[in-house]
Amino acid sequence: MADRGGRGGGGCCPPLDLMRSEPMHLVQIIIPMESAHLTVSYLGDIGLVQFKDLNADKSPFQRTYANQIKRCGEMARKLRFFREQMLKASISPSTTPMTRNNIDFDDLEIKLGELETELVEVNANSEKLQRTYNELLEYKLVLHKAGEFFHSARNDAAAQHRETEARQVGDASLDSPLLLEQEMQIDPSKQIKLGFISGLVPKEKSMAFERILFRATRGNLFLKQVPIDDPVNDPVSGEKIAKNVFVIFYSGERAKTKILKICEAFGANRYPFMDDVGKQLQMIDEVSAKIQELKTTIDVGLLHRDNLLKNIGYQFELWYHLVRKEKSVYHTLNMLSLDVTKKCLVAEGWSPVFAANQIQDVLQRATFDSKSQVGSIFQVLQTRESPPTYFRTNKFTSAFQEIVDAYGVAKYQEANPGVYSIITFPFLFAVMFGDWGHGLCLLAVTLFLIFREKKLSSQKLGDIMEMVFGGRYLILMMAIFSIYTGLIYNEFFSVPFKIFGPSAYACRDASCRDATIDGLIKVRRTYPFGLDPTWHGSRSELPFLNSLKMKMSILLGVAQMNLGIVMSYFNGMFFRNALNIWFQFIPQLIFLNSLFGYLSLLIIVKWCTGATADLYHVMIYMFLSPTDDLGENQLFPGQKTLQLVLLLLAFISVPWMLLPKPFLLKKQYEQRHQGQAYAMLQATDNGSLEEQDHDSHHHEEFEFSEVFVHQLIHTIEFVLGAVSNTASYLRLWALSLAHSELSSVFYDKVLLLAWGFNNVIILIIGLIVFIFATVGVLLVMETLSAFLHALRLHWVEFMNKFYEGDGYKFSPFSFALLAEEDE
Amino acid sequence: MGFLDTTFIFLIAGVVASRSVSVCLNRGPSTNLFHSTLIITATICCWMMWAIVYIAQMNPLIVPILSEG
Repeated sequence: MADRGGRGGGGCCPPLDLMRSEPMHLVQIIIPMESAHLTVSYLGDIGLVQFKDLNADKSPFQRTYANQIKRCGEMARKLRFFREQMLKASISPSTTPMTRNNIDFDDLEIKLGELETELVEVNANSEKLQRTYNELLEYKLVLHKAGEFFHSARNDAAAQHRETEARQVGDASLDSPLLLEQEMQIDPSKQIKLGFISGLVPKEKSMAFERILFRATRGNLFLKQVPIDDPVNDPVSGEKIAKNVFVIFYSGERAKTKILKICEAFGANRYPFMDDVGKQLQMIDEVSAKIQELKTTIDVGLLHRDNLLKNIGYQFELWYHLVRKEKSVYHTLNMLSLDVTKKCLVAEGWSPVFAANQIQDVLQRATFDSKSQVGSIFQVLQTRESPPTYFRTNKFTSAFQEIVDAYGVAKYQEANPGVYSIITFPFLFAVMFGDWGHGLCLLAVTLFLIFREKKLSSQKLGDIMEMVFGGRYLILMMAIFSIYTGLIYNEFFSVPFKIFGPSAYACRDASCRDATIDGLIKVRRTYPFGLDPTWHGSRSELPFLNSLKMKMSILLGVAQMNLGIVMSYFNGMFFRNALNIWFQFIPQLIFLNSLFGYLSLLIIVKWCTGATADLYHVMIYMFLSPTDDLGENQLFPGQKTLQLVLLLLAFISVPWMLLPKPFLLKKQYEQRHQGQAYAMLQATDNGSLEEQDHDSHHHEEFEFSEVFVHQLIHTIEFVLGAVSNTASYLRLWALSLAHSELSSVFYDKVLLLAWGFNNVIILIIGLIVFIFATVGVLLVMETLSAFLHALRLHWVEFMNKFYEGDGYKFSPFSFALLAEEDE
Repeated sequence: MGFLDTTFIFLIAGVVASRSVSVCLNRGPSTNLFHSTLIITATICCWMMWAIVYIAQMNPLIVPILSEG
């Protein structure tokens, strides 16, 4: 395998894509003040520089461009306000392709300011108008309802009056009380002037309103309430509220003030009301006319506002992008340090080595475009700091890389497990999900996603859909591999097919009497591809499949763990770390293979020879009494000697892993330290020298005990892990068994059962249940669980053999990423 | 079809696939190597799976016993 990057050098093959993160370097760019803005924004366009914050000690307010950022923030606020207003008026910002007309930032600021003032004014006016309008509407209601009330009251009074008069006329006899007439004729001087207040009160408060009024005036009032049929808009809040029209009659100024206060407290709006009918009619006319007038005014105002918002909507996206871009540019500019002369800005940042030319081109273009007299200076700095990790992924590999990154971002240029995960991840998934019927279903779904990729990627999808869409190529691989493993397991929705020829098994004799007791015998050559279909549904299916899948899990597991250990060799070669190769890679390889590699060998030998040896027994007694004779469990001659040798190797490899490395590290450190004391000063720049000094302080402390404990932990982890990780691969067996059993249960107990009734309706019901069970349990839940177990096998069992994953991700200043973040 | 025949087919398929991808989809040596690595890994995985199941059935210790009825 080739994995020689810049440092490894001298290999047979070219460097393997994606195996190592891109080589990075720390660059310094000195930009003249006048072209700084343009330069940074051009760099944001290519998005290949991760700027370092050189002003980390300064607060956001002390930085050079704090003012501009504030302005951008203000503009963003205005834009958010516009968006809110557009949302309220249900106008969506147009998504027409943005015209690249260059808008000046300052002009935009002024324009936004003007638009905001206008909009605020329009809003305030329309609000005021709306309020008046609502008040008038309420007034009209009061006029109507109270008018009705007065009218009926007057009718009642007139009727009563007539009645008393009639009675008076009729009863004008001697027994009528003499004072009656006097009583009836109220003395005008003693007549109390009754005042009244009319208005509207919210329905839910009306009871309390009445009670309080009654208490406050000690019952000296008359209150009449009439509910309004439709809820009205409250002038103050603008919300629709069910209200009652009320009329209160009271006597005396004191009562009036009390009532007024209570009205205020209950939010009851009062409206003047005349008891004169003529005036009432006049008022109603007046109010109606005013309402008409206001309505037109409001409509015109709304139209004006809508037009304004539509105009904003046309350019909203453009402005929004511009402002966000500006803000990010200034944010980046704030990270640059100001030169002593205040004439140029100094930028430092990480960028991939391959981008150096591109960056220089951009710098030149920016200098030219901004008509600056002086060009920017681009130079590479030497540093010992660990660079960020950057993998150039495409739409196919990114999902796999994300799986690895979710565990931990690779150390700079460390071997990337993502390369092999592209195959091994879907493969291990498929071992657990082997059924080519289900695989075809998955394939159909994912092909649908892939063919509509262009359309779907521009759309906004739900959370879960987004995740499925992001992993569409991962699911594609998973589907393809599950079709393959399904063919191997010979299961199509749990039904076997004789695709690859006749079964190898047949009855012992023509009568086939023994077939259900002693079983069939093998009469032909082994079934050429996958499981023999005869196994399906036989009584010995489960014992056979268990034995096969268990052993297969161990074989696949040992193979993958070996791959992991080999990857640590590539790392050792690449970083020229002979210590790790000799004292980590080799003993690890020996340890794992002398125990579990040997187990794999035994499994294969047992299969090939058809021996009846008990492998558990062999493995256990290899430890307990290695010198004992194997007896009937012997699989091949010389097995005892081989076992002794392997056991010895395994025992040797443990101290081999543990002891030499810390001591050698110590020795190395002492040598380096001695050498350093008399080392020649290198002729380097001041800056990098400082940095080197700074860095070497970090390395200076060498705690032997710490290193030793670390190595001890590492060794114990590996030795115990070799056992537990191998056992962990048995999940492949468990899950694939569960999958095939579940699907055969659904097939036998639902579909075949329904078929047996010979009834169309039952068959249809059975079919529906079968489809739902297959989709819900097997295609969704089983996919998830198999996915998670495959994930675990990669993260823990595979990656802990070599992967450190303590790097940090390359996060360049890029406008493209900025847009993604926002969505 | 014996063990060796099918193994040979796998080998041929793997080599042909990786070669043809390098020729048809030539995107520089690194990417070609990457594609070949993927194809070879996939072939090895598939072959292992097939080989395990095949060998396990070569000399059966248990034979299918048909269920009654």
